[in-house]
Amino acid sequence: MDFLSLITPLFLVLILCGTMIGIIFGAIPGMTATMAVAVCLPLTYSLGLENGLALLLGLYVGGISGGLVPAILLNIPGTPASIATTFDGYPMTQRGEGESALKVAIFASLFGGLFSLVVLYLFAPALADFAIQFSYVEKFLIIFLALTVMAALSSSMLIGIFSGVLGILVSLIGAYDVSRGGNGEYRLMFDFMEPYLSSGFSLLPVLIGVFALSSILIEAEAGVPENAGARKIALDQGKKFHLSVFSGQWKNLFRSASIGTFVGLLPGVGGSAASIMSYSQAKAFSKNPRSFGKGNPAGIIASETSNNGLTGGALIPLLSLGIPGDATTAILIGAFTLQGIQVGPLFIGDNLEIWNAMIVAMLFANVCMFAIMYFAIRHIAKIVTVPKYILLPIILMMCVVGSYTINYGIMFDVWTLLIFGLFGYLAYHIGLEIAPFVIGFILGPSAEIYFLKSLESFGTVSIFFTKSWIAVVLWVLIAISIGLSVWMSRSGARHHDET
Amino acid sequence: MTGLFTKLGLAAGLALVTATSGLAQDLPKNLRVVIGSTSTGGDTYQAASFVADAISKHFGINAKVDAVGPTEAFKAIARDRRGTTIMIHHDQSYLGHLYGVKGYEDIFATYKIGPTLTINPGNAYLVPKKSPYQSISDVLDAAAEGTRVRVAIQPGGVSEIGFSALKNAAKIKKPGSEKNLVPVNTGSQADKDQLLFDGQADVINGSVQSNEQYTRLPEDDQKAMRFIWLTAAQETLDQVNEAGLGGTSREALLQYATPKSSVTLDGEKDFTFDKDFFIIYNKDIDPALVEAIDAGLKEIYAEGAIEKSMKDAFFVPHFMPSKEATTYLEKKRDDYRKVIEAIRE
Repeated sequence: MDFLSLITPLFLVLILCGTMIGIIFGAIPGMTATMAVAVCLPLTYSLGLENGLALLLGLYVGGISGGLVPAILLNIPGTPASIATTFDGYPMTQRGEGESALKVAIFASLFGGLFSLVVLYLFAPALADFAIQFSYVEKFLIIFLALTVMAALSSSMLIGIFSGVLGILVSLIGAYDVSRGGNGEYRLMFDFMEPYLSSGFSLLPVLIGVFALSSILIEAEAGVPENAGARKIALDQGKKFHLSVFSGQWKNLFRSASIGTFVGLLPGVGGSAASIMSYSQAKAFSKNPRSFGKGNPAGIIASETSNNGLTGGALIPLLSLGIPGDATTAILIGAFTLQGIQVGPLFIGDNLEIWNAMIVAMLFANVCMFAIMYFAIRHIAKIVTVPKYILLPIILMMCVVGSYTINYGIMFDVWTLLIFGLFGYLAYHIGLEIAPFVIGFILGPSAEIYFLKSLESFGTVSIFFTKSWIAVVLWVLIAISIGLSVWMSRSGARHHDET
Repeated sequence: MTGLFTKLGLAAGLALVTATSGLAQDLPKNLRVVIGSTSTGGDTYQAASFVADAISKHFGINAKVDAVGPTEAFKAIARDRRGTTIMIHHDQSYLGHLYGVKGYEDIFATYKIGPTLTINPGNAYLVPKKSPYQSISDVLDAAAEGTRVRVAIQPGGVSEIGFSALKNAAKIKKPGSEKNLVPVNTGSQADKDQLLFDGQADVINGSVQSNEQYTRLPEDDQKAMRFIWLTAAQETLDQVNEAGLGGTSREALLQYATPKSSVTLDGEKDFTFDKDFFIIYNKDIDPALVEAIDAGLKEIYAEGAIEKSMKDAFFVPHFMPSKEATTYLEKKRDDYRKVIEAIRE
């Protein structure tokens, strides 16, 4: 219990401050948990390792959770991992249930965070050993499984698939990155574009462009009606929040938290895949899959439980193998290296005090996140009552600032925001689906690298079916997901014909 | 009255000249240090942080490290002649050009080379603990006997130069046997480790810092590894702390480096590679600024605190002022060019 001496008032205050700042970063479009941790990383020099980690873990948990606020209230995912939260969160806000949706999301986030923390504490080394059973082949199949949700997210299966494939194609613009084992050759672009597109389009500006800027353009086109007050979304005029919303959701909670934790422990797969997979599985196993995307709280529960489940999961390979599980823990590893601490398979045994302090920090960060967000909800939710002619220019400004700063001041990221804002606006008018496009864009590069590296390593396509029992299980889940999409598409068409 | 104005004008002019000349030698109050890596957990960020922190304290300025990656870092210094942005990178900056990686220009022609700062002596090659290869000589022998040996590397730079040296040594040992050393091109250290766990690579490029703990695992652990070669020169490794890193002492590490683990360069000398970190400036940067940083770093290294921090983190301090550093790095570049060209023939 020596670690208890590390838990000082400063330690707790730093977690609280970190969580609060993290929530703000997560809630501002274009700013992420990763950015929050990166900005504060140098502070670990002066704070020391334990206190530094307290701050960074607070930022991590807060940053992941904060993304739910704009996702639900404004239909803008604050972080890539909150995309699936918009699918049902924003429809609830439009029904006047924004506050209720936020509360559902916060409870789900707390559950996901605590679940993954328990898993981290009890099973970290064993799960790390399990994680290394996932080669390029299994990782490709996980990405493929997440991609299958594209069709199910759309009103038309064909348009959904087309939009998703277009997203994949756009994500592959630029060099086949040598730092990921590629050959460095440029794809899908002309040589004169090299100064701008050698690394392709950045994710966050694309995300903000298609979700936020396009909405602003659509709203601008509609104009401000004379009775603007009548169009304003009322605050919590719909169903009030009650914990009973979680009754019947235990399977969803545990399944989504498990998926989040599990995906977190696979390096290179990412939080977006986790929340999208959880969402698709919640839909697949729901008695009423058609209600998803129309304001079903189960969709929010799946997404938010899963993306907070990622926090503990991503720390498993970091602390048990020295391999970061996601982009944020990749920065977190810097806190250890800056202090000259080796992180690897012997880290936990060699550094029990730090390990226990981290567990306490994560626990306290989750509690702080819940307390801060739950009690601030009434005030946060009022954002939807702000007239749009005031709100939208502020959002636009935040989008531009966020895009400019996401890669430490690259002007092309602002152009990316504008280009994809216009694209989102056009897509709305010509009937393309934005959600599948974004999912394709996020998962495309990973799908490409894992697919090609699988073929390079094993030399045959049959390896995707024969590599391991894990691959077989993943194919079963892929088949269920595709089957559900086809069934929904056909029965939807039949329903449409009958009416 | 006219005389008074003349005197005032002269005084003001003198003050202005003095102030301007003073400014030319002062560092900007805010100094952006971009690095050629997007990782904040890697050695580039760590080395840059040591230097940025020391520069901040020494000059009383605010120096901040931004992990923007090579492409954006080169762009950032290319557009900043004022010296408010400098870059810290390592041998990858010229090796990328030698290997023909897009986005890498000839840094000696395009930019101004600043001082060298430190060496990471940890560049290593590893095999699974159960591997039949006990040493790097075993790997070369196997290739000479016709066995296909798969080596996981990240192509186009620091990770590949050791592999190129291995191919060169194999060619010298038995021409044609270099074809039996097959690269498995991959990305991060995690990817290289995973290839070893999966049995998809026989040898991987890694580092003492990242992989040392894996070498302490029991042999029946799927993750257990063994060092077979460190590329650092013996005189470089001699400078690391006696305790080495983690559970591996300096003495133990020296077993894997030249001369005990030999990869020949030309049949006589052994190939070595020390990963040097250095500053890169805009080509047209004010020479006074370069001199100011050189002088400041000379004092910082003479004080000794930075050397201790670096050694504690398994770096070897290696300060060399800009002019010497340019000559030193150009020679290094020429030596490695020969290795790369030898295996291309």
